Amino acid sequence: MKINNGDTLSFSDGFSVYEIDEQGDMSFSIDSENTCNVFIRIIDASDIDIKGKFKNGDSTILFWNDSVSDVKVTEEYEVSEGCSLNLSYGECNSASMERKLSVDLSGNGSSSNVSTATLTGRNKKYDIEIKNEGIDTHGDMKNYAVVLEKGRLMVNAVGRIAKGAKKSTSHQVSRALSFDKGQSTTILPQLLIDENDVQASHAMSIGKVNEKQLYYLMSRGLDIKECTMLMSLGYLLPIVDQIADEELKDTMKNELERKIMEVCSM
Amino acid sequence: MKNLIVKDLHVSVEDRTILNGVDLTVNEGEVHALMGPNGNGKSTLLAAIMGDPSYRVDSGSITYGEKDILSMPVNERSKEGIFLGMQYPQEIPGITNSDFLRAAMNVRREKPVSLFEFIKQMEKTINDLEMSSDLAHRFLNEGFSGGEKKRNEIVQLEMLKPSLAMLDEIDSGLDVDAIKIVADALNKTAQENNMAMIIVSHYERFLELMKPQFTHVLVNGKIDLSGGPDLYDRIDKQGYDWIYSELNIEPEKQEEKTQTRVSIGTCAVKDTMKGNIG
Repeated sequence: MKINNGDTLSFSDGFSVYEIDEQGDMSFSIDSENTCNVFIRIIDASDIDIKGKFKNGDSTILFWNDSVSDVKVTEEYEVSEGCSLNLSYGECNSASMERKLSVDLSGNGSSSNVSTATLTGRNKKYDIEIKNEGIDTHGDMKNYAVVLEKGRLMVNAVGRIAKGAKKSTSHQVSRALSFDKGQSTTILPQLLIDENDVQASHAMSIGKVNEKQLYYLMSRGLDIKECTMLMSLGYLLPIVDQIADEELKDTMKNELERKIMEVCSM
Repeated sequence: MKNLIVKDLHVSVEDRTILNGVDLTVNEGEVHALMGPNGNGKSTLLAAIMGDPSYRVDSGSITYGEKDILSMPVNERSKEGIFLGMQYPQEIPGITNSDFLRAAMNVRREKPVSLFEFIKQMEKTINDLEMSSDLAHRFLNEGFSGGEKKRNEIVQLEMLKPSLAMLDEIDSGLDVDAIKIVADALNKTAQENNMAMIIVSHYERFLELMKPQFTHVLVNGKIDLSGGPDLYDRIDKQGYDWIYSELNIEPEKQEEKTQTRVSIGTCAVKDTMKGNIG
């Protein structure tokens, strides 16, 4: 189903597929009261503005970016009491992306998982913030990226626990792997905590494929492209496990494999 | 005939010359033992043939099956049939053994190997090397013990079926039983594929099992002494000292090492007693 400018979507129970194919600026809202599993493919877009409220059950949304033009997305979500919102993003296209994502865990006992998988030789800039407002709220963020030649990755990962959000947790892991010279990767993990009775952690690693590993793989007959492909698959595929729904999990896995093979054989 | 011919090879690492004019010919199906005291260039020679980027070939030539190997990237040398069983195999998290091996098999075939055929071969090879059946799904060498890593090199060798196998201290880190298992697997693969071998080893036990027809001794970056099986036997019994006097050469002084040596505590006392520290 195509999403149009000005739509208000209320996702139905179970699995559904949507597309964004709009050359001009667009905005839409989500007003969901169901347990839903949604796959949204961005085919073409420029500026997208999304506002969403998740008022019931567990929702999972997978955004897969296939856009040929540069995209700027602003997303603001609010999660009600006892609900969960699982967001996954696949960014392996050959255009730039600027994403501002904010998830507000306003309801007590609400939770959110955010995961991004990036394979890029372009500019990707993410500002991601999970706000723990309610009591007993849980935020978890994972950013995995492979940065190729000429790629620029900038991740601003913020976990913010407000005063009064007792028993809450905020965790994040970011890791990036780079192959070529002339790329840049910046990850800024931040935990802003205004409450005592909480748990929070962050982990980050940025690594370059080392020459000895590459030599080892090549000594068995693989060329640089094949090594890049195998290592990217190994690096990015674990992000798929963030998705609980089997159908969405398979979708993400297939899209990732297809795209990694395509990008690495260029 | 796929013969390896190394001529007057000079190789250096970070401006330090290691090989100083090596000549070596290995014909199809032949088994050669490469011996010599530590630090005289045995590993360097194998690495230079494979194409390790940390070694620089300054002059000389290497041909394999009449093709100029030195102008080829590492992966092309592998596709020509050259395999190096490494002394320190790399750990590569994220890539499973089976994905890696399948990819490595496919680059040397016209048609990709079918999943069924691959699994059959993999199971058989894992069995031959007496490794645990979960090997296929584990990440490449990650968390492997020293012995497992060495055996995994031979798993790869058996699957890729090279025509020239170079084994760099493949027996170190293996227990007595494992040495036998590895030698059996190697001999079987060698027989089936008429595979030539260059074996670097310090232990007669392994060489006894591999039965090399030729022995070469690499001293001061040169092969000055070659012979038959009696030569490794003599080295095993008498060490290397006799070679220096017989060839009338001096072992290269390793002054650099003694100068940069740092000793603390009891070690300093021991070193003083040995006269290493003045």
